[in-house]
Amino acid sequence: MAKKYNFTFIQGDIIDLVPLNSEHINLYAKWKNNPNVRIYARYIIPQTVEDMKKFFEPSKDKIKREINFEIWHKKTKKPIGTGIVSGIDWYGQTASLGLIIGEPEYWGQKIGEEATGLMVKYAFNELNLYKIYAGINSANIGSWRCAEKNGFIREATFKKDSYVNGKYFDTYIYSLFKADWLKLKKEKQVK
Amino acid sequence: MPDENSQEEIEVFPFIEGKIIDLVAPNSKWAELKCKWRNDPKVRQYSRNMWPRSLDDVKKSFETVPDGHRHTREHVGFIIYHKRDKRPIGDIGLNHIDWVSRNANIFAEIGEPEYWGKGIVGEAAQLVLKYAFTELNLHKIKAGVFTPNERSQRAAEKLGLNKEAVVKEAMYVDGKYHDIHKWGLTKEEWLKKNKILIHID
Repeated sequence: MAKKYNFTFIQGDIIDLVPLNSEHINLYAKWKNNPNVRIYARYIIPQTVEDMKKFFEPSKDKIKREINFEIWHKKTKKPIGTGIVSGIDWYGQTASLGLIIGEPEYWGQKIGEEATGLMVKYAFNELNLYKIYAGINSANIGSWRCAEKNGFIREATFKKDSYVNGKYFDTYIYSLFKADWLKLKKEKQVK
Repeated sequence: MPDENSQEEIEVFPFIEGKIIDLVAPNSKWAELKCKWRNDPKVRQYSRNMWPRSLDDVKKSFETVPDGHRHTREHVGFIIYHKRDKRPIGDIGLNHIDWVSRNANIFAEIGEPEYWGKGIVGEAAQLVLKYAFTELNLHKIKAGVFTPNERSQRAAEKLGLNKEAVVKEAMYVDGKYHDIHKWGLTKEEWLKKNKILIHID
């Protein structure tokens, strides 16, 4: 059952980003259906195992417009969530980031913050993107903290844009330019 | 004598306007014409088409991509349309687009030999360079030309491309191995050179 390697693609401190694993399809489905997880990730329709299988089908785009990771907890050796760089616009060099921590016991441990940081670095230094976005529900305080900690700026608010649990919420559009990210990184090094 | 295919009235859609020529969107009604260019021994010798192309092969290049204009392409092609003579005379474009390293290869072919030696490729390529740098936001444009193709070597030089390397005996054409000359130009160099051109104008 246990694999010899977990195929670390990007190494972090608490977590690694690894490729999706088709043996974890049930886990992905579990996370995306979990009421506590899905509420802000905006999974309004039940997610089937078949839906998860789509991630493993060859893409019809020759040039990827979406890149998925599994978030792997290093100490407990467990997959705990997924991250995505989506809507990649190769002309304008922009994309959106998204992530879920599917196992609530790992919430509040700055894992989202680290995963965001790793994906930001990947998007800028490996994909050569220019600007990245994150759309976050106004009530999802944990997520905007995690964006702000990584230097994202709240660039726009889409008023009453998302209907969650019987109420409309604003969507905050966070963004980060590569140039600003580089500046921040330099400042951190000086400190 | 004008080609019989071009006599048919086909509505053209200029995408980039030039002086002598426009770069227009390909039209599947030109498939036969394109097929003629691809197979013409005089033309293909320089564009290195080693295989006979069937009309079906050429028609395939007009098939739409799965996701329309949102689809990220590795290839962008135009038809070179002669404005005064009102006829398509060749094609030009970018292929092998690498969106991460942001470079691409420029290719061009004048399929009607009577238009050779008139600086048409120069004008068309200048338009494609501008498109590549200011619309696609690419970082570098490359071109590979093999030794006997002197016209293209001159065109590359005139365009302001830098000769970066010569790859020895990399291409077998007409019974002999030939060197390939690798040309390249970065956006920064292009911007600099272009400003100078504007001043002279």
